[in-house]
Amino acid sequence: MLDVQDNPAPEVHDDPIAVDPRQFAAKVNSWLPHDIMLTDAWFPLAHSFAVAKKPIRRAVYSHPYFIWRKPDGSLVAAETHPNDQLAAKKSEYTDEAGHYPVIEKYGYVWGWLGKPENAAPEHIPSIPYLPEDGGLPLHMLGTVRFDCCAPLSLENLIDLTHADFIHADVVGDEKMDKETVEVFHDSETITMVRTCVNKSVAPIMKIFGGVRDDVQQVRQVIRIYLRSHAAIAYGRFSPGDNVQLFHPCVPETRDRTRLDYAMNTSNVKKTNLFRYMMPKASYKVSRQDSSMTSPQSPRYMRPEKRKDLHSPLDEAGQKYRVLMLALAERQARGDFTYRDNVSSDCSDIIGYEKA
Amino acid sequence: MTEAAWWAVARSEEISADKPHNVDIGDQPVVLWRDDKKVVRALEDRCPHRRAPLSLGCILGNGAIQCGYHGWTYDGASGQLIDIPNLKSDRKFPPVYKARPFAVHEDAGFVRVCLDAKAAAPAPDDRVLPLSGTSIVALDHEHWIAALFDDPSLVLSIKGVRFSPYLLTELSEQQGKLVLERSCQWASPHWPAPFTSDFPISLRIATDPVTGETDLTLLDDEFRALFRAVLAPVPAARGVTQVRWRAALSPGRHHLMAKAMGIGTPFRVFDHVDGAALRVLKPSASIHASDLRESIVTRKSGPPTAQEAAA
Repeated sequence: MLDVQDNPAPEVHDDPIAVDPRQFAAKVNSWLPHDIMLTDAWFPLAHSFAVAKKPIRRAVYSHPYFIWRKPDGSLVAAETHPNDQLAAKKSEYTDEAGHYPVIEKYGYVWGWLGKPENAAPEHIPSIPYLPEDGGLPLHMLGTVRFDCCAPLSLENLIDLTHADFIHADVVGDEKMDKETVEVFHDSETITMVRTCVNKSVAPIMKIFGGVRDDVQQVRQVIRIYLRSHAAIAYGRFSPGDNVQLFHPCVPETRDRTRLDYAMNTSNVKKTNLFRYMMPKASYKVSRQDSSMTSPQSPRYMRPEKRKDLHSPLDEAGQKYRVLMLALAERQARGDFTYRDNVSSDCSDIIGYEKA
Repeated sequence: MTEAAWWAVARSEEISADKPHNVDIGDQPVVLWRDDKKVVRALEDRCPHRRAPLSLGCILGNGAIQCGYHGWTYDGASGQLIDIPNLKSDRKFPPVYKARPFAVHEDAGFVRVCLDAKAAAPAPDDRVLPLSGTSIVALDHEHWIAALFDDPSLVLSIKGVRFSPYLLTELSEQQGKLVLERSCQWASPHWPAPFTSDFPISLRIATDPVTGETDLTLLDDEFRALFRAVLAPVPAARGVTQVRWRAALSPGRHHLMAKAMGIGTPFRVFDHVDGAALRVLKPSASIHASDLRESIVTRKSGPPTAQEAAA
C-alpha cells in the first residue's frame, strides 16, 4: 500500500512545481541532465584530511581545481598546477591570481564555482550530523566514483524504491506493510521522506548490527541541495541504529561524478560492528548503483521524442527534475541569487534525533 | 573526404626510392615514393592509360615513376606524362596526359598528403619521436577515434598504464582541437579505480577534428610529461583505418613504474579491436565529438572575412 503526500512550498508566484500539471509534465519530460550546469555554488571537493602541502587535483564541470595548504595551514584552490606548462586561459570563476574561493567546513574543503564576489559562507548546505570542524575518524570517510551524470546519480538516490531491488542484499527488500512518501521543496532544496511500516530488516543490520527481528520501522530522508549537488541521507530504523550519510555528487565532468562521502556512525556503540562496517557498504552499494546509472547516463544526453514513464513513487524525482531545470533557467537569465537559505539548520526538516 | 586536410599517410621510413608504396585516403588510392633527390612524391595510384595501379610499377633513376603495365612514365611533382617507351620518339604530350598529383609534406617523421595539390604547406613540426609503428585496423576511422575517446585500452596500450573510466576534463574544444583528460593508474596492485581518491597519472588526448591526428601526453600528478605520442589514423578502403604513430619517452621519469616504461616496448597500437568489448562500450566522452567537430569545421570554413571578401 502506498500513500504519496504532496507538501507544496509556501505560495510564491514562480514556484516551478505549482504550475499547470501539463506544464509540469512537459518540464519533467524535457529532462536533459547532461546539459545542466549550475554555478554560484559550493562543492565539497575533498575531505579535509586529503589536502596537504602537495597540490591535489579536483574538477567541477571540467574546471580544474588544484588544492593545497600553505605552511600556515590556510587553503589555496588554484585553476592551474604550478608545474602546468599547458595551462589554459584564466577562468571567469577565479580571481586575478587564478584562485577560486575556498572554505573548510564539516571536514570538507569546499570550492566555489561561480562569480568569486558572490561566494559567501551562508551558501554552504546545512548538514546537522557532521561536526562543523570535521574530525570524523577515517573509517567513516571514503571516496566512490560513478561514470554517470551527477543529477542522474541524485535522481537515483531520491527514489529509494531502487534500493529495495538493487541494494536488497544490503538494506533489505521491498517487503513491508505500508509505505508513505512525502516531498517538500523550496527553490534550493528538495526533501523526500519515506516511511515504511514493518519493512524487512536490512541484512547489514542483521549481520553486523545485532538486530534480531524480522521487520523494522523505517523513516528515511533524502534532502538534496540542488546547486551543490549534495545530499543528506538520514535514516531512522527501529529496531536498529540511525544512519547518517552525507552524499555529495560532485560533477567532475557532465558525465562523471565523484562522491567523497561521510557516514557518521559515531551514534553506534563502539562495540557494535555496524559502526565500522556500515561506512564500507558504500563500496558495494556504489557499484550496484553504477551498474544501472552508467548505461543510463548516455541515454539522457540527447533530446528524446519518447517520454519516460512515471509512477506515483517518482514524485520526488520528477520534482527534482523540475527544480533543477528552474534553477538552470533562472541562471541562464542571469539570476544567480539564493532565494532560500541553504545553511539554516535543517534538523527539524529531516527529523534529526541528536544523540 | 575533406580535400583541404593533410593526412599523415606514412612514416618517413616507410617510403623509399626503391619501391613505390600504396596507401589510401578513404577511397582514394595514393602511390608514394622518393624521387632521385629523396623528395617524397604522391600521385593517384592509377595509371590514366589503362587504370593499372602505379604502385605495381617501378621508380626510375631520374626519380619518375613508371607504370608496370605499358611503361607509361610520370613526373612525380606534376604528374605529367613524360614518356611512353614504345613510342620511340621525342614527342611532347598534351597537358591532359597526366596522373593526378597530390601535395606532399614531410616532417617530424611523417609523410603527409593533401588531396588538393595546391594546398599551402601545414605548420612545421619539429618534434623528434624515435619510436614508431603502423597498424591497420578493421574498424572505420570515426569509430576508431570514438573508441580512443571512450576507452583507449581497446585500441592501444602504454606500458604499465591502466586507463580508468574517470575523466578530469570531458571532451571540449581547445585551440581548435578536441581535448580530454583521463585519470589513469599504474598497472601495479592498487585500490580499485572506482574507490580511488587521487590518481597518480593522467592521459591528455588532443585530436584534430578532421583528420583525427592525436597528440597523447601521459602526465604524472606534478604535471611532468612521462610519455608523448602522435597517432595518425587515416581512413582507408572498406572502412579500414591505417594508424601510424610516433612516440617518445621523456627522460627523467621518477616513479618506479615510469622508469620501467623504458624496458621493452612502451607503446602499442592494436591491429585488432575486441568486437565483443567494443559492442558494449558505453558512448560517453565521444558522444559530443561530432557536434564539436562540426562546430570547429564550420567556424574554420565560415563566411569570408571582410578582407577576403574585398579581395
